[in-house]
Amino acid sequence: MIIATVPIPKGSIKKVFDTIFILLSYLFPIEIMQYRFMQSALLGLILLAPMVALMGVQVVNFRLAFFTDAISHSAFTGIALGLILGINPQISIPVFGVLIGIGVMYGQRRSNLSHDAVIGVIFSAVVALGIAIVSREKNLARNVQRFMYGDILTINVEQLMAMGILLLVVMLFHLFSFNRLIALGINPVLAKAHRIKVDIYRYIFASLLALVVVYAVNAVGVFLVTALLIVPASAARNFASTAGAMVWWAILIALSSSIAGLLISSHPVINTATGATVVIVSFIWFGLSFLRGILRREK
Amino acid sequence: METAVRIQNLSVIRDGNLILDKVSASVPLGSSTAIVGPNGAGKTTLLLALLGELQYQGTIQIGDATSGLRIAYVPQRLTFDRNMPLTVMEYMVLNMQRLPIFLWLRSTAKAKARELLGMVGMASMEKHKLGALSGGETQRLLLALALGEKPELLILDEPASGVDYQGEHVFCELLESQRKRWGFTQLMVSHDLATVTHHADHVICLNRKVAAEGKPREVLTPNNLAAVFGIHMGLVEQGSLNDDHSHCAHPQGEHKKSV
Repeated sequence: MIIATVPIPKGSIKKVFDTIFILLSYLFPIEIMQYRFMQSALLGLILLAPMVALMGVQVVNFRLAFFTDAISHSAFTGIALGLILGINPQISIPVFGVLIGIGVMYGQRRSNLSHDAVIGVIFSAVVALGIAIVSREKNLARNVQRFMYGDILTINVEQLMAMGILLLVVMLFHLFSFNRLIALGINPVLAKAHRIKVDIYRYIFASLLALVVVYAVNAVGVFLVTALLIVPASAARNFASTAGAMVWWAILIALSSSIAGLLISSHPVINTATGATVVIVSFIWFGLSFLRGILRREK
Repeated sequence: METAVRIQNLSVIRDGNLILDKVSASVPLGSSTAIVGPNGAGKTTLLLALLGELQYQGTIQIGDATSGLRIAYVPQRLTFDRNMPLTVMEYMVLNMQRLPIFLWLRSTAKAKARELLGMVGMASMEKHKLGALSGGETQRLLLALALGEKPELLILDEPASGVDYQGEHVFCELLESQRKRWGFTQLMVSHDLATVTHHADHVICLNRKVAAEGKPREVLTPNNLAAVFGIHMGLVEQGSLNDDHSHCAHPQGEHKKSV
């Protein structure tokens, strides 16, 4: 039985999504996956997984976890600002997230403070602003709870389309600039001397990371968004023997964790939050990778 | 002699402190120039200004008025997560192909990387992890990377730091042979007078200002060194200094031509 809980746009886009959903129902021939909201959630996670894997590799290799945390918390303020200014949160959250990402990068370039201190200052200010707005507007509390825990099961087609476009942009960016990102992460002065436009790549990367984090917040909530980026990439690092292999391991782990997490969480006996279950599955991957590392060292 | 780099009235202020004060100096084209001075003299700051990493007052002209020089840089060290599974080959290829290394390493890029690694005696280390290399191996890898840029001006920041005597000697010999082969101008920062006295053919003594500049024999005098380093330096024997050519000497004083 197919329950159409998600509004589908008319015309060709509707046909595309209908086809994808039918395909997913055949690929996962279990009862729960015949529901449209589960198909939407699965598609959302399939779109999200390669993005968090690709960005997560850079986050882990170049220690950007705190930066990711700051961006994820900016989503909270983005919701609040959007609601009080009468702007659709689907627009206010990514715009605010990107502004914070660029602001942190700019602050790190221009300030005498350490990078962590710059992030800490902006992070604190953003969270304080969000709390101040929410404390004044009591009716925002329900939105805040959704933001805290995420809710991939209510993802709509407009969000799926936005994620599809973002995935395309992230993939193109990495096809064009993955090598340069690695080079500038290892030594930015050396990269600049070798004619890599370091500042441009940094700002584009920060903006894309902000967008990916914002969409990941929708899926797993602010508490777990950093884990969604870090855990698959960390496990991948333990499995991989080259930087290239690390990317493929990260994609495999993020994708398999997302699918398994959704299916496990929706089982009537388990019945847990999807985002948390996805992260737990990826943590199991990490545990396996850790054990493999120990066994390899003992040999 | 033609000039590769001309610095005029260069001043750098960082955090309210004057790090470089109206520095004027030049690097002759094709020379092996060393910038010497004590810690805090502004040597690395001068290099960063040359690389466009810092704001400064004054002028820096690289090359002549019509065209600049192709620059390559060898940093003092790499500060990165040493557990990152990046191999020597992958690191070499990063700058040689747009195609991301997770998709494919092009055979032309790998061949070029192998040739460069061979030049610095690291042909057998292409599968080694970057984070597992010793200080000397890392310096040689960075030199290979820099040579891949086909530099006209090679800038090195304390290439001997973190390297033992033997490693320093090997690096010095290697640098010299590559400079002769490629004909680039070399600008090196060092606080190691043993390296400078045996390697450079042009010296800039720096301690916020330029204290002296010229051939090692003319510049590295006891009076100049005392003025720059603040103490009497009995380390440099005038007889061991270069005039207008450089050669590598064993750090313990014994000259060797091959490693």
